[in-house]
Amino acid sequence: MIKKEINPKSNKLVEEVKKDYRASQDLGIKRCMQCGLCTSNCPAARHSNYDPREIVKMVLDDNWELLDNPDLWNCFYCYTCQSNCPVNNSPCQVNQVLRQKNLHKAEYKIKMKEFSAYGDSYLDFGVGSMPKAFFDGMVKDYGKSYVDLKVNLEDIRHELGLEDYNIKGKALEDVRNILKESGFKSRLKKFKNAKES
Amino acid sequence: MNTESKNLENLSSDLENNYNSLGKKSKSGERVGVFICRCGGNISDTIDIERLKSSLDANFVEDYENLCSLNCRRHIREEIMEQNLDRVVIAACSPLTHLKTFQNYADPLNPSMVEMVNLREQCSWVHDDPEKATQKAIGLTQAGVEKVKSAQALKKIISRTEKSAAIFGGGISGITAALSLANQGVKVTIIEKNPAIGGNMVKIGKVFSPEKLAEECSLCILNPIINDVVNHKNINIMTKTNLRRAGRRSTYFNLVLEKETSYIHEDRCIACGNCVDVCPVEVPDEWNQGMTMRKAIYKPFAQAVPDVYTIDTENCKKCGKCVKVCKMDAIDLKLKNEVVPLKAGSVIIATGHEHFDLSTRPEYGYERFDDVISQMDLARLLGVNGPTLGKLQKISDGKQPQRVVMVQCTGSRDEKSGGKRYCSKVCCMVALKHASIIREKFPDTEVVICYTDLRTPGMYENYLRYVQDKGLKLVRGRPGEVTKKGDHLLVRVEDTLQRQPLEMETDMVVLSEAIEPSEGTMKLARRFNVGLSQDMFIKEKHAKIKPVNTDVERIFVCGTAQGPKDISESVSQASAAAAKVSEQIKCGTEAEPPVAIIRTSLCKHCGKCKEICGFKAIYRDEEYMSIDPMACKGCGACAGVCPEGAIEIIGLNDQELYAQMEGLLRDKEDGEIRILAFLDNVGYTAADTIGNNRVSYPEAIRIIRIPSINRIMPEHLMFAYEHGADGILMAEYPDECMLEAHKAKMKELSESVAAQGIPADRLRFYKAYAPHYRGLAQQFEDFYMDILEGDDLKKF
Repeated sequence: MIKKEINPKSNKLVEEVKKDYRASQDLGIKRCMQCGLCTSNCPAARHSNYDPREIVKMVLDDNWELLDNPDLWNCFYCYTCQSNCPVNNSPCQVNQVLRQKNLHKAEYKIKMKEFSAYGDSYLDFGVGSMPKAFFDGMVKDYGKSYVDLKVNLEDIRHELGLEDYNIKGKALEDVRNILKESGFKSRLKKFKNAKES
Repeated sequence: MNTESKNLENLSSDLENNYNSLGKKSKSGERVGVFICRCGGNISDTIDIERLKSSLDANFVEDYENLCSLNCRRHIREEIMEQNLDRVVIAACSPLTHLKTFQNYADPLNPSMVEMVNLREQCSWVHDDPEKATQKAIGLTQAGVEKVKSAQALKKIISRTEKSAAIFGGGISGITAALSLANQGVKVTIIEKNPAIGGNMVKIGKVFSPEKLAEECSLCILNPIINDVVNHKNINIMTKTNLRRAGRRSTYFNLVLEKETSYIHEDRCIACGNCVDVCPVEVPDEWNQGMTMRKAIYKPFAQAVPDVYTIDTENCKKCGKCVKVCKMDAIDLKLKNEVVPLKAGSVIIATGHEHFDLSTRPEYGYERFDDVISQMDLARLLGVNGPTLGKLQKISDGKQPQRVVMVQCTGSRDEKSGGKRYCSKVCCMVALKHASIIREKFPDTEVVICYTDLRTPGMYENYLRYVQDKGLKLVRGRPGEVTKKGDHLLVRVEDTLQRQPLEMETDMVVLSEAIEPSEGTMKLARRFNVGLSQDMFIKEKHAKIKPVNTDVERIFVCGTAQGPKDISESVSQASAAAAKVSEQIKCGTEAEPPVAIIRTSLCKHCGKCKEICGFKAIYRDEEYMSIDPMACKGCGACAGVCPEGAIEIIGLNDQELYAQMEGLLRDKEDGEIRILAFLDNVGYTAADTIGNNRVSYPEAIRIIRIPSINRIMPEHLMFAYEHGADGILMAEYPDECMLEAHKAKMKELSESVAAQGIPADRLRFYKAYAPHYRGLAQQFEDFYMDILEGDDLKKF
């Protein structure tokens, strides 16, 4: 049985989520009607114990144990829940806020290791893009068209009158300097060096 | 049509003349009598009545124990005759409760010649010090005397409505309203855009009935009513007709309608149907949701009314074959659209709803999969006059489905693009109705309803239990996707009660589509300048107390044009709309002052008044600006923006206002503080309640009742400051439809007063709420204390 004691601060977690800069300003989390549409479409829910509806419910229930729920790490940000939610909530944004809360702890740093290649892409190209390590997997999933896209992307952009996708020259230097001075680079290194505790 | 009714221009000019003649008269010696009420001690225990009497400057002054008693009615009338009084001041209690009584007691006098001074609620009940209270009572009463000297006799403004109505929409709502009005002798025109009346109700086959716990045949219920409508001598039905233009007049609307041609002389057609067989054109039949085909010449459905054939001019190839076989010579392919003028005293908008466009939710596969259908499609499938003659069959292969999954809230309760934020209200019941029919007639078919919340309020809960007893499966979860797997459809949903994603095989998916406002409703609203809600339905004037009025006088709304609702509710609302039209026609209605009038000789037709009026009382009558006295609240916003000074507020003119202010500020002693409080009706009610509860506030507060702060101009305020006001408080209920005008007015007043060197905190605005009288009392107290303790008092 869940025992619910009188607690005037019982919506602290949802307030923290809402005020986080990662959350959209009009995030509809408080309007959640627990319809489960997010979960019905969620690939992570299909293949693991992750349940975005339940995550949102736990936030609304002010259940702080959620932060240590290992299921949180099964979302891979496809944003399907965000594009479908009928009350403009975004379980994946909520997930991002929740994960971030624990990143200072050693046991969660290791979780970031698999994302570190995304960080590298900022240092390499000045923008976020698909890490090289995933290339073979993408080709396997999408076939030759993915290779074509990768090879011809800049040409297509030029034809459309767009600038290069990747940042180059002085601008790239500037981005790298910003990433260094702001501590991004060293933080990334910490995640890369994290070891199983 | 009723021709005795007077049009507003005449009324206005009458008032104008009236006003002018009396205005002259008021300069010569009028005789004012003051009747003071002791109110059984309520007033006289605090106020020294003898001193009050001896201090007043009037032609006659007398006090009475209970002025509102019938005995005093005789006294008042006698004194008016004997003393030859032509104006009367009643120094007693609140005009909100007793003005009508005393206007009646002073009967030979015009009601506007009676002024009430509120000695009880605004003096004896709120002040304890008899000396100060008596001083104030003298001031209040003398101000009343000065004010009434400037009063002008007003004629009653009776607004008549022509005894005719135009009803837009021939569905169950429009039909109900039409029949009710026609039975009361009102000439009614039903204007329907489709070739037949009956609306959505004729299509749905069965309707749910919570009382009988059964499904009833909709056509059987509707047909007798439709027949009554057709045969009624007071009802004219115009099908395939749309509104082109609408002009507002004081007692009626001038409408220009366009009747689309159907190439048929309706009076000749005998509906034999010979024409259908020879027509070579086939198009999807909207009667069966496009599941069957019809010809270009057709009758919408077997029982269609009017009982004539019609030609779908868009698809007709004009081959002329039908013309040749028609023995009645009823078809003429050269017929053109007809423009028809119509004069109607009132308008009822009963234009109904449309259904959510399911192609905007491609994840549910409505367009991709044959066996994903809508509830309306299913209604046709289950109808004995439908495409399968009532057999439940899959569209894809004609076989009976083993399982039907219904998806609730498709497009409802949905903030995503194109979705509707509201609950469509009927879909739960519609799904249950269809589940019930399927379980009854096709017990081998399983029905699963995927829902977020099952909404079956009131008696409908009985119906839910009844359907559950027939064997119904419920899954609590909103499906995210419908796909195909092998021979079956697959519904992906989370069974939220089990906390498990669920993939459900099914043969048929039925989407419970949202109800949405129709294009026709929105168009009509634009033509009539009727306000829409945030969700684009017709907005009622007040959801609680004026549920069938729109924001335009004499235009009413009923049925799903106003929002999602079921047939029972639509019929109730239609009856209410008819009753309101009838009330207006039968009673005429009396406009109470204050109201605005336009001096047409000064008006330059710029239209600024029309723009600012949130009550939509002002309209353009041909090129002239006119004011509907019934819609006007006399707030004065229009007078404030009129560059020609052509608008006058009858019932509170400038002379009265200046006289009252001057009276209230007279005889101010050294160091004394006077604060004028301008209160609208809600503010005034709150002030009365302060008195009723004996909450005291400083004697410095002197209250003036106004229709709205929009009535007040900067020069009024400057007059008050120049005559000794130390502060001015303006309290008003924040009425939604005038909020913008209020804001603009507050800005205007603050800026003009500041430009004259008045410190900003000497003019205050307050939002008044009737129950929050203590808040108003606190405002009075605070304002007084701030001035008392402030160091800029001497500057005034």
